Amino acid sequence: MSASAQADSPQATAESVADFLRRVRTGIEGGLDPVTAANRAAEELPQRLARLVQLLSRRVRGDYHEDEWGFDEEFAEAVYPVFEFLYEAWWRVDAVGVRNVPAHGRALLVSNHAGSLFPFDASMILLAIMKQHPLPRWARFLVLDWAFVLPFISAFMRRVGGVPASKHNAARLLEQDEVVMVFPEGVKGTGKQFSERYRLQRFGRGGFVEVALRTGSPIVPVAVVGSEEIYPKLGNARPVARAVGAPFVPITPTFPWLGPLGLVPLPSKWRIEFCEPIDLSAHGPDAADDPRLLFDVSEQVRETIQARLYENLVERRAAFFHPL
Amino acid sequence: MAGRRVVIIGVASHWGRELARRLERDPEIDYLAGIDTGSAPADLGRTNFIEADIRSPLLSRLLPGTEAETIVHCGILWYPEPGKPARVLHDVNVIGTLQLLAACERTRTLERLVVRGSAAIYGCEGATPYFFTEGMARTLPLRTRFQRDISELEAYVDNFARRHPEVACCTLRYQPEIGPDLGTPLVRYLQLPVVPTQLGWDPRLQLVHADDATAVLEAAIRSRTRGAVNVAPSGSISLSHVLRVLRRPTLPIPHPLFGPALERLGRRLGAGPIYGDGVRLLRFGRGVDNRRLLDEVGYRPHFNAETAIRDFAANARGARISRSIHPGDVVGRFAGAAR
Repeated sequence: MSASAQADSPQATAESVADFLRRVRTGIEGGLDPVTAANRAAEELPQRLARLVQLLSRRVRGDYHEDEWGFDEEFAEAVYPVFEFLYEAWWRVDAVGVRNVPAHGRALLVSNHAGSLFPFDASMILLAIMKQHPLPRWARFLVLDWAFVLPFISAFMRRVGGVPASKHNAARLLEQDEVVMVFPEGVKGTGKQFSERYRLQRFGRGGFVEVALRTGSPIVPVAVVGSEEIYPKLGNARPVARAVGAPFVPITPTFPWLGPLGLVPLPSKWRIEFCEPIDLSAHGPDAADDPRLLFDVSEQVRETIQARLYENLVERRAAFFHPL
Repeated sequence: MAGRRVVIIGVASHWGRELARRLERDPEIDYLAGIDTGSAPADLGRTNFIEADIRSPLLSRLLPGTEAETIVHCGILWYPEPGKPARVLHDVNVIGTLQLLAACERTRTLERLVVRGSAAIYGCEGATPYFFTEGMARTLPLRTRFQRDISELEAYVDNFARRHPEVACCTLRYQPEIGPDLGTPLVRYLQLPVVPTQLGWDPRLQLVHADDATAVLEAAIRSRTRGAVNVAPSGSISLSHVLRVLRRPTLPIPHPLFGPALERLGRRLGAGPIYGDGVRLLRFGRGVDNRRLLDEVGYRPHFNAETAIRDFAANARGARISRSIHPGDVVGRFAGAAR
């Protein structure tokens, strides 16, 4: 109780921090290593600060877990508030039908893809499940190969649950009963012009259906409305793209004209709909070799998403200006 | 069942010696011989040391005489060493393996051939399957000399296996090993007082614990598994996590400068340079699927990717953080200012 009373006044907090630093110093002079000293000294701090110091010292010592995919749950939780802000305040996301994502076991979420620079759509789908599902779970997502040859971005993506887009990765994740997001449009989706927004591109070679069949996973089509307005791509700086090896470099109303500020995504209104799962288990794993079935299911998923996109566009009304 | 007559090629290498030491204790093995250049390792007992160069055709006359039932090839070099410069590597790895296979052709008693190869055959790239299975070799470009050599010698072994179905041939694809006294470039790198890393990169690694690495060799000669088998712990661990567990401060360097920087720093601090394959490994990392090892060879590694590192941290000697850059001084100064 006294701890919370202390925390209330900034002066008291400053004093306890000074006291903490003094204790760290005595600890170090007493022969402790700095991390242990900080950890011990933190016991006297107000609770929130103490927990922070303990968390940091645990991280510094490597006392945390990452799974075999490099997903680091603690790290994901640390950056969660940033995406929560985007979800709540920036894009005001409405999520519909989250319960169509199974609470247990494997599932393949298939969604339209847009937003060129960063898979914001993946992160918002992930948040919708974390925030609105009765049994929240971290979804994994397949990321365009190119992101994994970039420094910083590749390491970040991996820690929050991204893996390079590969059938092998998707199949292994599903075998481990994870929820996996795929964007079969790929670069064709992220790189489409603003004028083509919400028109689904070709769905690759139907590789996602093959994976779903082989692993016996239900497919949950997901329609994301709003993501296609955050970076209205008007043109493509092809020479620049070629020079840096990128699939494309978008020219938007704000980028590159406003410099880094132009990378701020526009605050469109979002709606995410999770559709009824498509159960493929009746076909059996061997059906994965039947190209006709692959195309049929792929087309069925594509049509479902396209139809739900149009519906949700109407439901959402204007992209940017909403009367309060 | 392992053959009663075992010959270890490259017995003077670390792994050859370790294997010989284990097999010496096995009463079922009647005859144990080791072939290598130079002089016999001092700590071996009943192993018959035969001095021969794997690259010489002499091998074809020596090997049939041993009437070997099992041959273990531990002579593949992963990195240059004193007395074995980079030029020699290709000769030993490719020509040496060819000579060995030629000698195997003449060894009529042969039933089992185990080659200690490398997972470098898969390469290291940014966007790849996170767990390579054995069938995915050579799907990525072979970028380094060592990769090409490994790929070539595996092709020779496969060819031999096709022509001799009576011999169960197995290539073990090892991820890099870790152990306090291995002295490999990677281990020396991890023991540096300040470890340079590539700015913005954090590779996923699987390092095989030295105990598991030897035990797998033994398990492989006892099994009849054919074809390639990945040797790796379960799970994976990122380099940043490894270095935190080892309590090593890092020095991030832009990746084009990493190789040269490491070469200079390494020489001053007592670690050698990291070669082509290693630089890529420390940027992109590599993970392999070890289900064949578990299910078909029947060996379950004692350490997973994380516990292997923790065990290494507990046993590693090596430089501690020097007093002069002790972070405690920085904290202390702040504490003084806060008064």
